[in-house]
Amino acid sequence: MMNLSRKSALNERWKHMLLEVLTQTANYAVILLLSLLVGALVIFASGKDPIASYQAIWQGAFGNPIKFADTLDRSTVLMLSGLAAALAFRTNVINLGLEGQLYAGAFASALVGFSVQGLPKHIHIPLCLLAGIVAGGLWGLPVIILKLRWGITELVTTLMLNYIAIRFSQYLIAFPFKDPLAPMPGTPVLEATARLPKLMKGSVLNIGFIIALVMAFVIYWFLFRSKIGYEMRMVGYNKDFSAAVGIPVNRSAVLAMLVSGALVGLGGAVVIMGFFGRFLGSFSSGYGWDGMMIALLAQNHPLGVIPASLFYAALANGALAMQSATGVPQTVVVMVKGATMLFVTVKVFATFFKRRFGKWLASTSDA
Amino acid sequence: MAEAIAVQEIIKTFPGVLANDRVSFSVEQGEIRAIVGENGAGKTTLMKILYGLHKPDSGKIRVKGDEVVLSNARDAIALGIGMVHQHFMLVPSFTLAQNIVLGVEPKNKVLIDEERVETVVQEISEKYGLAVDGSKLAMDASVGEQQRAEILKALYRGADILILDEPTAVLTDMETEELFVMLRRLAESGKTILFISHKLREVLAISDNTTVMRHGKVVGTVKTSETDDCELAEMMVGRETIGGRIRQIAECGQPVLQVENISVLDSRDLLAVQNVSMELHCGEILGIGGVDGNGQEEFVEAIMGLRPILNGRILVEGVEIQNQSTRKIREAGVAYIPSDRYRSGVATEALVWENLVAGEYYREPYSKGFSFVWKEINASSDELVKRFQVSTPGLDVETGNLSGGNIQRLIAGRELGSNKAKVVIASQPTRGIDIAGTEAIRQMLLEYAERGAGVMLLSADLDEVLALSDRVVVFYEGRLSDAGYWDDDIRRRVGQLMTGGEGGCNDESVS
Amino acid sequence: MAGFDFGRIITLSLFAATLRMTTPVLFATLGGIFSSEVGIFNVGLEGMLDIATFFAVVGSVQTGSPWGGLMYAIVACLITGFIFALIHLELKANAIIVGLALNIFATGLTRYLMVEMLGATGFYQSDLLIGFKLVEIPLIKDIPVLGELLSGHFPLVYLAFAFVAVVYVILYKTPFGFHLRSVGEKIEAAESVGINPQKMKYIGLMMSGLFCSFGGAFLSLSYLNMFSENMTAGRGWLALAAINFGRSKPVRSLVACLIFGFADALALRLQQFGLPSQIVLMLPYVSTLVVLVFSAISDERKKKSLAAKQRNTKTMEAVAVE
Repeated sequence: MMNLSRKSALNERWKHMLLEVLTQTANYAVILLLSLLVGALVIFASGKDPIASYQAIWQGAFGNPIKFADTLDRSTVLMLSGLAAALAFRTNVINLGLEGQLYAGAFASALVGFSVQGLPKHIHIPLCLLAGIVAGGLWGLPVIILKLRWGITELVTTLMLNYIAIRFSQYLIAFPFKDPLAPMPGTPVLEATARLPKLMKGSVLNIGFIIALVMAFVIYWFLFRSKIGYEMRMVGYNKDFSAAVGIPVNRSAVLAMLVSGALVGLGGAVVIMGFFGRFLGSFSSGYGWDGMMIALLAQNHPLGVIPASLFYAALANGALAMQSATGVPQTVVVMVKGATMLFVTVKVFATFFKRRFGKWLASTSDA
Repeated sequence: MAEAIAVQEIIKTFPGVLANDRVSFSVEQGEIRAIVGENGAGKTTLMKILYGLHKPDSGKIRVKGDEVVLSNARDAIALGIGMVHQHFMLVPSFTLAQNIVLGVEPKNKVLIDEERVETVVQEISEKYGLAVDGSKLAMDASVGEQQRAEILKALYRGADILILDEPTAVLTDMETEELFVMLRRLAESGKTILFISHKLREVLAISDNTTVMRHGKVVGTVKTSETDDCELAEMMVGRETIGGRIRQIAECGQPVLQVENISVLDSRDLLAVQNVSMELHCGEILGIGGVDGNGQEEFVEAIMGLRPILNGRILVEGVEIQNQSTRKIREAGVAYIPSDRYRSGVATEALVWENLVAGEYYREPYSKGFSFVWKEINASSDELVKRFQVSTPGLDVETGNLSGGNIQRLIAGRELGSNKAKVVIASQPTRGIDIAGTEAIRQMLLEYAERGAGVMLLSADLDEVLALSDRVVVFYEGRLSDAGYWDDDIRRRVGQLMTGGEGGCNDESVS
Repeated sequence: MAGFDFGRIITLSLFAATLRMTTPVLFATLGGIFSSEVGIFNVGLEGMLDIATFFAVVGSVQTGSPWGGLMYAIVACLITGFIFALIHLELKANAIIVGLALNIFATGLTRYLMVEMLGATGFYQSDLLIGFKLVEIPLIKDIPVLGELLSGHFPLVYLAFAFVAVVYVILYKTPFGFHLRSVGEKIEAAESVGINPQKMKYIGLMMSGLFCSFGGAFLSLSYLNMFSENMTAGRGWLALAAINFGRSKPVRSLVACLIFGFADALALRLQQFGLPSQIVLMLPYVSTLVVLVFSAISDERKKKSLAAKQRNTKTMEAVAVE
């Protein structure tokens, strides 16, 4: 039996946090190194210079303030998508429909953006963002209804809704909302009052990035410091336990889907309002899927999604530079990404480090 | 007749429990032997050893006179031992015939010889008198037919010795009759049958000899025709009385829990609880006895709102709670310590405080508006950990790191800590817990009852039920019988009711 | 709609095109059925198709024959299936995550190797790339309607439909098929008779790869003799819908694939006439959802009535005894 005095309790808590921090830092350091090694090996195998390639990536992503800012901007939609995925995963809801919800949110925000005129900026922008949030959230609703009422697996329904969203929006921009002046299929350009203000001259970075950062903290607070977030996490840990203890299981699943969709819908809105300026038929290079990978890389922690999306954004921006500098094709970064995902999921290093550090910490307390 | 199968001085231990303690008996060829005992007597472990699923720590197994070593089920099958499990192992979308020949299908080069499958199944079906329509899908077949298919499955693989685990648990009376006719026929044709049961009426009807096990030991083997259910029940549960306990049960107005004529379905949509009524009074500890699987679990889940009730009412202090949400039921004053603590008792990946606060987190003072009030949560968790002596490195530790006993204390702390519960349902609360923990939890339950709550104690451990309860009711085949208040004879009464008896045995009737 | 002439859209060649467009999804579906029957929801079908598409091209270039290309694709996909199984079963990683990772990895790998092995970016086309030739069936081609429908397809088209029968036979008429399905449906039953679930799962995943290799080879060596990024265009996902629709049964899933193929062909035709193809392309997915709902409703009804029947027999007997 342990006598938990006030002081020793605090001491224990700090020690526990320290263990977590140490474990995860070591874990990710090793994962990063190994994944970069995998990439380097591939580059080397094709006769190119890995060091130069990685340097080029770094330069391309962070080389000068403008590039840095551009990388931050690229991480915006990834962050929101990653948060959406992380939230869903934590509740044990497998939302494969992020891509579709992204499109729904993007189109809705564009619609409000170009069809409503004469509004001042500080009303128009929130309105468009809201449209994105609502559209993204609602697009997830059919999935959850089908699951709760008839037990139809969300694995298939989310996939179907993806394609329905993408195709339907493509239809909308090909016929009713077609912009004849557009170089590629898309809606008319958004009103100036619906565009997100830029943060830095010469770069595409806009307040969308701030919005995403804020949302990361909001979702962190939501998951770990609010009642509903607690419920969602408990349901994600153990459904039977939650039911036995009175936590509303179905409600949490519904909320997870809705909020997840809303978040990624917001991401769609932000990327349209901040970067593209209109809804384009194929604006997404798989941001929904990336979000899932990012969530897994961050082990579903909202704050971890921030560095994870920066990592992805840096790889994306840097890869282009790498290709022109050393001739290594961009696709090598895909393999680095795949490797990191693999190492994270397999959890081998995390358990190893936890044990090692745990023993070390335990021995220091005995001393 | 020759010896078919025998065990000699079998010892088997699992962590913390001696499941088989020097078990020895011998079964003749063509004999129907019943193995009876209450939960935890060691019968299932023994059968699994005979089927090669467990390896004994020491002791010998003889099959047809030769000593053998069984490393896995295939060894057992090769020696002619077949097992029919309590929960059937049939693939629902295959036909019964396809299930019977699964793994040893008759082939015509690469393809299955479907005609041969049909004829083979028909042949053995007729040979052993087990009527099975091979072309029926397993999921469409009645339970009785499924069971016959399981038996044929074993016979098809050349079983001479059949082990049946609680074969009549899921059968109707008529199907049970039919099964017994078949078993008789099989025995007459030279097969040896071992079956586990806790239903003494059936054991008396069909078996030649009965081996009674208790606490891992063989109490004795008797010729079935020379005994009766009273004697067997007494052998199963013993007759020692646990030291007398005088408790003052407070008088209060109405019962804290009233169950009126409820029926509940199990996961297979069959009736698990049939028209059960009972009352729980304040300050009383009511023991719910019965062999696992007779409806107790479903009964408790129904009270907690985890399972729907088909009819009837449940009232807590006069307020109806049937079919309400679990949260409302808990708010009405029902606390629940579930039997499967890792599945329903805690979330092992969640932190200790998260599990402790799971019952009350949404109310003041633990939360205000959308968020938590940390001071209250920390203070309360600290206090609960101290009061219920949960040994943990801290509140922010993953609950799965705690030992089983401490997890149970955590659960007890969560459920009993607020002192507000009027009804406490404790299901197998000390299963797998060490002595200190067991004592502590029993003490907690006693104190709670003393304070005026009603405690419902479900336990497969008859000793525990009898040690704590003021009054005992017994579940058998979905129905509830009253064993009455605790007295010197309670053990015998409970033993009889558990095994399907009427409770009418007394000293004279025991031969 | 003005000028809408059905007759020009619904033609015989449309149905012939349907058969062609059904083929790749059908192969992927058949492959997916094997992993589904062994209990694994194979989200990596898209990636397997991608890999097959690429290696078929490499093989064709290096061996000078489309069949050589097919061989390369088969080997590549078998290895992929094996690795999938290894990571999922040995390292205990979640099957969905492994599948998703596989998709991403496949995209990156094929693009990368396209540069390294074929020296091209974005897409690869070359005279070295020998594709399959259309096959005319001697007597059938002269039959008025059937001829145009059935003759003059690529060989893999015929193979795809023939494979439906083959897969049916394997799954429902061979011991192996029963063993495989028992693992996916009730693993305890399989174990109790000595079937090795692990082995079955490895085989199931590798067979997924095997069939996807045909699908990929078809994509890059038949109608379009080239390899390009995103050639698979979501057919791996459609296969999952087809499998779900068809409840993992070959013939039922074939129906779903035909619907998808028809929608594809129709959409292409509509586009030529300036009509909204996107709506038509949406239909397969919408219809999948509709079918899922109807199946669920009917399943529920069946289960309730069966249980009620069993309950009634039990209570009726109890009454009779009394």
